[in-house]
Amino acid sequence: MGRCTAGRHGQGARGALTVRSVIAGALLVLSPAAVACGYCVEDKIAGVYDHAVVERALGAGHSIAFFHIDGTIVPGEGTRRLLETLANTAAGVDKGSARVSIESQAVSVAYDPRRAPFGSVHRALEKKFGVKNLRLMPLKVMEQPAELTAVRKY
Amino acid sequence: MTTTASFARFFTWTALVLLLGACNPGTPDRYDISKMDLKPIPAKVSAERHKGAFAEGGSLSMGAELKPLDPSPVKTVRLDTTHKIIEIAPGVKFSAWTFGDTVPGPTVRARVGDRIKFSMTNRSDEPVPGVRITAAPMMHSMDFHAAMVSPQDKYRSIAPGQTIEFEFTLNYPGIFMYHCGTPMILEHIASGMYGAVIVEPRNGYPTKADREYVVIQSEFYAKPDPGKQKVDGAPLYVLDTDRLKDSRPTHTVFNGVHNGMVTNPLPAKTGERVRLHVLNVGPSKTSSFHVVGTIFDRVWFEGNPDNQFRGMQTVLLGSSNSATVEFLIPEDGSYIMVDHHFANASQGAIGLISTAAKPPAKDLEHHNIPATRTPTDPEAIAGKQGFESKCLACHSIGEGKKLGPDLAGVTKHRTKEWLTRWLKEPEKMLLTDEHAKAMLKEYNNIPMPNQSLTDAEIRQYLKYFEWVDAQPAGTAKAHGAH
Repeated sequence: MGRCTAGRHGQGARGALTVRSVIAGALLVLSPAAVACGYCVEDKIAGVYDHAVVERALGAGHSIAFFHIDGTIVPGEGTRRLLETLANTAAGVDKGSARVSIESQAVSVAYDPRRAPFGSVHRALEKKFGVKNLRLMPLKVMEQPAELTAVRKY
Repeated sequence: MTTTASFARFFTWTALVLLLGACNPGTPDRYDISKMDLKPIPAKVSAERHKGAFAEGGSLSMGAELKPLDPSPVKTVRLDTTHKIIEIAPGVKFSAWTFGDTVPGPTVRARVGDRIKFSMTNRSDEPVPGVRITAAPMMHSMDFHAAMVSPQDKYRSIAPGQTIEFEFTLNYPGIFMYHCGTPMILEHIASGMYGAVIVEPRNGYPTKADREYVVIQSEFYAKPDPGKQKVDGAPLYVLDTDRLKDSRPTHTVFNGVHNGMVTNPLPAKTGERVRLHVLNVGPSKTSSFHVVGTIFDRVWFEGNPDNQFRGMQTVLLGSSNSATVEFLIPEDGSYIMVDHHFANASQGAIGLISTAAKPPAKDLEHHNIPATRTPTDPEAIAGKQGFESKCLACHSIGEGKKLGPDLAGVTKHRTKEWLTRWLKEPEKMLLTDEHAKAMLKEYNNIPMPNQSLTDAEIRQYLKYFEWVDAQPAGTAKAHGAH
């Protein structure tokens, strides 16, 4: 799967999410910025990949989800901290696991899929980020070491 | 014959000559797009981790000396990513990110038409024996400037433990950069993730060289670790992102190490033709590459003989530009490679090609060479670097007299005040100070030049000299080869 084919990672997501993902994905692909270095799926993931968080989460049988943040973000460390706080306080998210990159417009969180499936974590994050007029587009999920997989149906 | 008839005949002949020239079947277009391989196979990403050597392939060369071309039309190249501590200057142990566990990464040598089968495991999560202070594992990628492929497919970032495999055919001759393309790209390149691919023309170069070397210029932006971590008793240096963003390097070097090819000059003999493949990887500075004492007989800009200049003194290279330069060694001596932006040269972008140099020991790679005895105090380290950049042409330490005195023991027979004043204003002391006058006479009336050193630099030099004189006799040495 290509670097800039972000829309495809949402395949299989249900109902409104699928529509939203396709629209967001299309916007991402069609945007002039989408073809530049640093705007592709793996690059966005790289911007919020924290190996310590990944190891801790996978060691506990948890997963890590990576999202593109869609919307206008005011650049700055204050914004990054605010968004990280929002993500860390979303239901189902492992506290302290959220990582936000303003440059990459991406966020990652760890969660326990047995207690909170991906869909509920996504909805909880959308609710938090919606306050700032931001939407989240799922990119990939890591459930095992060294394996980034497309988001499955939920 | 009328004038009109003459013109008509002239134009007829001209048109005929041009037409024949255009249709000449004896000069095929070497850049015929229809004959290039532009149908690569999709990349494959897996969780299968390479083990063993970090770099593998018969086409790979480590260091400046290039191995002969591997005749195989398919080159298998493995360059795994690692995080390790390297020594970029005496006492400056830097937290680097690498391809193939070296900085620069190994040089790939091939020719037009060859197929490169590339694989890379992100092994940034593997612990370095004895060292636990490398940068945190992170995602990396590979961007080959020599390839014509979809970056979205081949150059994607992979997580620690993942392996990416892809292949491509070399369509153009040249010297091409490779580098990590994962954001922030600037940080990945400045941390050491770059190297060169040398692609020879399909039928070889038009000249025959006696010596062939690769020289890669790059910048480092280093600062002492804010956490004050140490490596073997020396301070750990980490990436200074503020300097990086402002393009203010602390070190500008050839082949990954400050003054590396001054300490270990490249050998050549009188009368030989030397071919240098020069690549400036930046990431942010240009290079005015020049070799003191000779003229470039040929310059092939970007390493392609079709882009030829003759009789050049300097070749200007922007970030990721390259050139192959050839020149003759006219007589015995040391020919000095410099970035003629001398601010860059003073940061370490200097090397020598010397008729007195011995061939390098096989399989020695600078990061694997035991560190020479160096100070650990950052001020003394800075003094050593300054001394080696500005003073080695005339002075040595422990290697005897040159144009000026051997400075071993200088802090034992001169006071700190005297040395400070001497370094600050030698021209005034030569008029008034008896010791200075005697020294001028002893050294054939060659005066010590005023180097315009700042007070801070003078303090650093003295710290270095004091460190030298505190070592067991004969163990701390410094000498230039010219």
